[in-house]
Amino acid sequence: MTDSSGLKVIIVEDEPVFRLIYKGVLENAGYTVLEAEDGVKGLEMIKKERPDIILLDLILPRMGGYEVLEKLREDNSLSAIPVIILSVLGGEENVEKAMELGVVHYRVKGDSSPTNILNTIQTLLEKK
Amino acid sequence: MTETKDTKKHRILIVDDEAIVTDQIKDSLERLGYEVIGTANTGEGAVQIARDNLPDLILMDIKMPRAELDGISASQIIKEELDIPVVFITAFGGEKIIKEARDAEAFGFLVKPFQDNELRATIEFALYRKNMEQRLRESEQKYHILVDTAVEAIITIDIHMHIVSWNRAAEHLFEYTAEETTGKPFMMIIPERLQSDIQVEMDRMVLTEEWDPNIKTTQTTACRKDGEEFPLEFSLTSWIFKDDIFFTIIARDITERKKVEQMKTDFVSLVSHQLRTPVAGVLGCIDNMLTGITGNLEPPQIEYLNMMRDISKRNYRIIADLLNVSRIERGVVSVNLAPVTLTDVLQIVDNRFQKDIQNKGLEFQIENTNPKIKVYADKDKLIEAISNVVHNAYKFTEKGSISIHCKAVGELAFIEVVDTGPGISQDEFSLLFSRDQILRGAPTVKGGCGLGLYIVREFLKLMNAEITVQSKVGKGSRFTIEVPLAGKHRTGSK
Repeated sequence: MTDSSGLKVIIVEDEPVFRLIYKGVLENAGYTVLEAEDGVKGLEMIKKERPDIILLDLILPRMGGYEVLEKLREDNSLSAIPVIILSVLGGEENVEKAMELGVVHYRVKGDSSPTNILNTIQTLLEKK
Repeated sequence: MTETKDTKKHRILIVDDEAIVTDQIKDSLERLGYEVIGTANTGEGAVQIARDNLPDLILMDIKMPRAELDGISASQIIKEELDIPVVFITAFGGEKIIKEARDAEAFGFLVKPFQDNELRATIEFALYRKNMEQRLRESEQKYHILVDTAVEAIITIDIHMHIVSWNRAAEHLFEYTAEETTGKPFMMIIPERLQSDIQVEMDRMVLTEEWDPNIKTTQTTACRKDGEEFPLEFSLTSWIFKDDIFFTIIARDITERKKVEQMKTDFVSLVSHQLRTPVAGVLGCIDNMLTGITGNLEPPQIEYLNMMRDISKRNYRIIADLLNVSRIERGVVSVNLAPVTLTDVLQIVDNRFQKDIQNKGLEFQIENTNPKIKVYADKDKLIEAISNVVHNAYKFTEKGSISIHCKAVGELAFIEVVDTGPGISQDEFSLLFSRDQILRGAPTVKGGCGLGLYIVREFLKLMNAEITVQSKVGKGSRFTIEVPLAGKHRTGSK
């Protein structure tokens, strides 16, 4: 396993079960994990913490995932942080829209296992 | 035409200013079996008697110098007011007289003197013509009543797409009156941006030889007089009348139907998403436990968790199927067509199933005669389609083998999935790829919702591919997927 110590991940996700799952698998691999349960808190946390990678849900209270993506893109200091969308929504139109907003990967919860998502993150961060 | 057929005697009025002629004709008529209801010696007298007694026919002298109204004028009044056929009698058969009689729309013409048989033939012919005209008029009236009381808009257009007729329902639906539309282009009720598409569609509907309501019917957006747009369904058929081609359009407003359809699909999609979240959550938790993140597990715990994982996966797949169907029906599924190496696709399918199939004690083989075969397809959807078929084979086959064979023939790649399962009976074939399989309690539904093959077929359709099945009960099944080869696909296909 890659040494991931010191690498910071922010999970923006309103469902506690998914925060638990991804936090579990990521912490186990040595990442530092921070959590936000809505878009507004997530954006604030991203600005403050400057994570290495963001896991973002699409349907979120207060500010949806797409809006968070737009705000990140507008800010030059944040636009380079890789974002992985984790959503229950599949569908080409959602994937396309997210990709246009600069998302690196789009994963459908349930289709991708937590280990699978961990592998994706590790591959992404190795490249950096 | 014979008088024996009519139980009732025909009632006739004789009009002539010479009493001797009137008497002669009266005798003849009575001999011939007609009833003479009266005689008149002036035009005005004839009109009066006709009004009072409504004869079936009038024999009318043209020239009556002493009368205020001559025969021609009287017959015009009678025709307009009473619609009784008039046969003219005259002493002169000159051109001028005949022309006058024709202009007065006479039902017959007799030149004095005449024989009984001439009289009878002329009268019978006049009565026959009258009867025909009456029936034609009634049939026309019936047609108009039918068209005008129809709840659906009925529009007739000519070959130049100009409106010929426009019924009351059309007036109501489009808010244009028949006067406002007659002679105008049919496209006046179609928004400009759609007109060329509709033209193409209408050409297609007309040119198809098959008398299939599905082919002859289409949906579009139409606009009312005030510009309001609404969804319209219409059928189009053509007919020929006296060498001219006409088209009949029967149209209805489908706003309500669309609303219900939308509600239905919105509901399915909402429910599916709501259902997905907890199932995906449970799956994630089980996965993490099985990976050992929550600590070491004892073998029985692993067995329990594996079972939970299988059940949750099945649940998840059913929800995914429902979502796919809802997306197919909303027409929002899009495909990303590109050259795809078949070997890559089969590798992924192999990875997915190898372990499970072997664990069930079955053989699993993939045979690809030409590893370079490239198809023109949507990679993910092709993988889904093949996986779905293989998954079915896995579900139903208890012993023996499952194999995949690939070959390229002509412009197509053939991917065959062959199993040694129970097979499918002939009468189940038609239901196999249908959406309603589960509703009809088909025995082919097992551990799923029976939507898999319907989705496969719909996905394949989008990439110009097809799926067929050959099977015999007790002998296993062979599903064949035909996909266009890359580089040989028809251009412009999507």
